[in-house]
Amino acid sequence: MSNIRMRDEELIEGMKNRDRKVLAKVLSLCENSPERANFLLSKLEKKLSHLIGITGSPGVGKSTLTSSILDELKNKNVGVVVVDPSSPFTHGALLGDRIRMQSHATSRNVFIRSFASRGALGGLAPSIFEACDAFEAFGMDDVIIETVGVGQSEVDIRNVADTVVVVLSPDGGDEVQMMKAGLMEIADVFVINKADNPRAQILKSRLNAVLTMGKKEIPIFLTNALTREGVKEFVNALDERFQKMKENETLAKRRRQKLFHHVKASLRRELDDLIDKSEVKGLVMNKDFLELKSLFVRELCEKYK
Amino acid sequence: MIKVMIAKPGLDGHDRGAKVIARALRDAGMEVIYTGIRQTPEQIAQAAVDEDVDVLGLSILSGAHMKLVPKVLDLLKEKGANIPVFVGGIIPEEDAEKLKEMGVVEVYGPGTSTEKVAEQVKNFVEHSHA
Repeated sequence: MSNIRMRDEELIEGMKNRDRKVLAKVLSLCENSPERANFLLSKLEKKLSHLIGITGSPGVGKSTLTSSILDELKNKNVGVVVVDPSSPFTHGALLGDRIRMQSHATSRNVFIRSFASRGALGGLAPSIFEACDAFEAFGMDDVIIETVGVGQSEVDIRNVADTVVVVLSPDGGDEVQMMKAGLMEIADVFVINKADNPRAQILKSRLNAVLTMGKKEIPIFLTNALTREGVKEFVNALDERFQKMKENETLAKRRRQKLFHHVKASLRRELDDLIDKSEVKGLVMNKDFLELKSLFVRELCEKYK
Repeated sequence: MIKVMIAKPGLDGHDRGAKVIARALRDAGMEVIYTGIRQTPEQIAQAAVDEDVDVLGLSILSGAHMKLVPKVLDLLKEKGANIPVFVGGIIPEEDAEKLKEMGVVEVYGPGTSTEKVAEQVKNFVEHSHA
């Protein structure tokens, strides 16, 4: 929750001065008052950071891989958002991704922030777009976004990240699993982690075989995040990819998509709030479907008049 | 939404208590960050500030609480963070008093009910925001 007592001007000044404590407060604003955060962040210049999404099933090693990526990025400023699920019953959450990356808690070039998914179903948190903007406004070179442990169809990271890394572990299943729509489709890069497992090579050749059926060329990296084996090559490839994306316009295209999804998410959130509030105020009594719908549309229009 | 961090400073590896509290606070509807065992005061203080938590719980069973807790409190002060800190573990009564004099909001020993902790944590947050 955290009450933010600082005024907008103070927050903007603090962000410009790269004050870590102010970034912490701005990220809380993103979570708790996203529209105020959007307003504030629109006043700030943003660096074009490489937004790297790390996704995959629970326990494949996303957090450990993130930590080993940070080991390789000592010369860069890096923001990290890690998302863990909220309870559908109590809305509480246990955020445990930091455990694997606490060696970077005191790294001056790294800023790690844990978000709860707060009802979002696509593997991310409702304020993920605002969080990315905050890190870009802070001047981060790279931003790593780690999703919750996903199943086959939580693919929202595709609308946020410039590069989506799908992490697999060698005990993942046969090639039909890899041909399914959803998660396997959104990868820009595959990482097979826990490469010390002999089955990692088998998975790689199966994945290769499946990928050759498609049109897109997607690189596969083998890593052992615990020993950092293969991580350097993978991180270098991420960098090269981002440089290329900047040159050949694919980045501009991805960012355009991201902007639309940000607006969509923000509008939905405002509409949700408006409907919830109207219900509380009792404005919705005795109205039929069409009356209600036009009431909410009018209220939203009124706000942006 | 209340955001809590549960941390274990120092070298003891017994984190059952920390996990029980983290789980209980989660079930009480809070967002709980658990940072794992064997953390330095610096790691804990920086993480608490970066995560902008409302309250910080330290779990210590090693007996080093009189060294570790003041260190965390000092570092938080140094960073300009006004975060209420509570402590759980095996803490002798006279030490518990001293810790409270230093600014710790509460000390919980073995057998404390988790409902009581959750209730009081909510109060700490309300008071610190008042």
